[in-house]
Amino acid sequence: MSMENPNLLSMLCILSLFFAFVLSDSHFEGFDADADDDDFEDTSIDPTSLRSPPSQSLTTPTPDPDPPASDLPKSALTTTTTTTFDFWDDDEFEGIPIEHPPPSAADPKSPDNSSDSASPQNPQIPNPNPKTPRSFTVEILCGSFLIMFAINYFTGKRENENIALSWAAQFAAKDSIFEKNFSLLGIGDGGDDTPLLLKEGQTTFKFYASGRRYCQGLLATLELKSRHDLIARIYNMIVPTRDEISFEVYMNDDAMDHVVFALAKKKAAKAMHKDVRDLQRFANVLSPPTSKKWVADDLAVISESKEVAADLITDAVIDQVFGDKAFEKFGKGLISLHFSDQHSGMHKKVLLFKFVLPSAKNMADMTRLVALVPYYIDLIGKYKLSSQARSKTETARQKVAQEAQKELRNAQQEAMQRRKAERKKMMEEAEAKLSAEAIRKKEAKERARQMKKAMPRMKMARGA
Amino acid sequence: MCYHPIAMNGVRSLKGKRSEMSSHGNDPRQPSAARPYVAPAISPQDLPIDYAGFIAVIFGVVGVMFRYKLSSWLALIFCAQSVANMRNVENDLKQVMMALMFSMMGLITNYFGPPRPGKQS
Repeated sequence: MSMENPNLLSMLCILSLFFAFVLSDSHFEGFDADADDDDFEDTSIDPTSLRSPPSQSLTTPTPDPDPPASDLPKSALTTTTTTTFDFWDDDEFEGIPIEHPPPSAADPKSPDNSSDSASPQNPQIPNPNPKTPRSFTVEILCGSFLIMFAINYFTGKRENENIALSWAAQFAAKDSIFEKNFSLLGIGDGGDDTPLLLKEGQTTFKFYASGRRYCQGLLATLELKSRHDLIARIYNMIVPTRDEISFEVYMNDDAMDHVVFALAKKKAAKAMHKDVRDLQRFANVLSPPTSKKWVADDLAVISESKEVAADLITDAVIDQVFGDKAFEKFGKGLISLHFSDQHSGMHKKVLLFKFVLPSAKNMADMTRLVALVPYYIDLIGKYKLSSQARSKTETARQKVAQEAQKELRNAQQEAMQRRKAERKKMMEEAEAKLSAEAIRKKEAKERARQMKKAMPRMKMARGA
Repeated sequence: MCYHPIAMNGVRSLKGKRSEMSSHGNDPRQPSAARPYVAPAISPQDLPIDYAGFIAVIFGVVGVMFRYKLSSWLALIFCAQSVANMRNVENDLKQVMMALMFSMMGLITNYFGPPRPGKQS
């Protein structure tokens, strides 16, 4: 909605300003305001008796009416109302069955304007008929939208839950991939009836697993479309989004060598290389080697060295998922892989897998992608760099660490200086205060002395 | 941390047989290394901004100020959206309640209130 809302808002502001203008105009002319109120309020007073005189005066500002002059504002008025209405209908009431009366009726402002502009031509017939059905269109539209919103909330919520549950049933139930790889599944502490999924909001589901060699834990986050939200749903018709799942594997500190590696579609890889800090620092986009079997053409590999990339993209992976043929069939759901021992955040050594979730019925389509997760945990867990590459990566990391330390030191120094300056300021202020206080004290003393001088007389006066 | 040399061998042997890698004989599981899930603490500043609630408040205020019922209705709709997207009740309830109050006030004064006693604008 972020695109339309400013539009809507501005229209509303213009309308309200216009409204205020009309009101103040009538006020200025000195006519009774009640007359044009009837057009807004749904009171049952017969408007025919009251309306025509003031409305005529509204459009004809000069005392003697001039036909071409009155024609001009009329056309201007009608055009503005129609354009505003177009915006209104498109934005808010999409997908509502066409049960409402013709367009000019939906806007509560239009009766006023149309009657105003129409009255100079035939002031004797101010048709009151379209008014009674017209006044409830806003309520009907908004009410039905609210009802649809509520219905959609429950159906969309169930839809999202179904997707998450079918994912859990496919991959985290008994005899499934995660059950065979992790000893602890779900958020609880290992009992049989602990829930597998943690629900955060209506669109986010989390799945946690732990108890496996090489890694501390795995957190899978399912980010689903906001199906429960009708407005977001309408917005997603314009800007489509996908259901995504991301796996974060927190590796043991001793189980991961110096590895910075990422794999994504070409465009996304470029963006990742720009945005993600550790990729930017340590890694480069690799050109595909000519001699070896490599990943599909759509994919790009970002890695610290060719050696790492060649060791992580094994023949098995190419055959199963990332090769030209297999990628068409099984790898479509890949968004990105990102393995790094220099991750920013709480855990440093993290494997990140991002996939697109298939629909609830076709959950098995992503089996091979999910199988990548334990495969890479094992592969990276036992992976050791050659000594050459290792020395290279070590120097790179040292450099970065030094830079980081320098930055830290600079920041500390800055903080120190700031603190010093603050203290100085405080001292000065305190001194100023002190001096002010001293002056005040002096003054007080002086006053006291003077008082003392004056006191005896007082006493005498009192005594006398 | 318990360490299984057999498990290591198992991993090595599965190279090239990916389809079996999750069902090979050696168990990669290590119950002793299992750690229960600890939810990361998220400060309230990091939560996504509740745009719907904000828009609802604006529409509600406009609806009350200008006695404009469509605005109040829109505020009500955005309130519904805000409630639907609410993640944790304590944090977001304030804004939603404010927007709801405004929109309800606008509607009540619009439908049941006195027929426009004076000019506000």
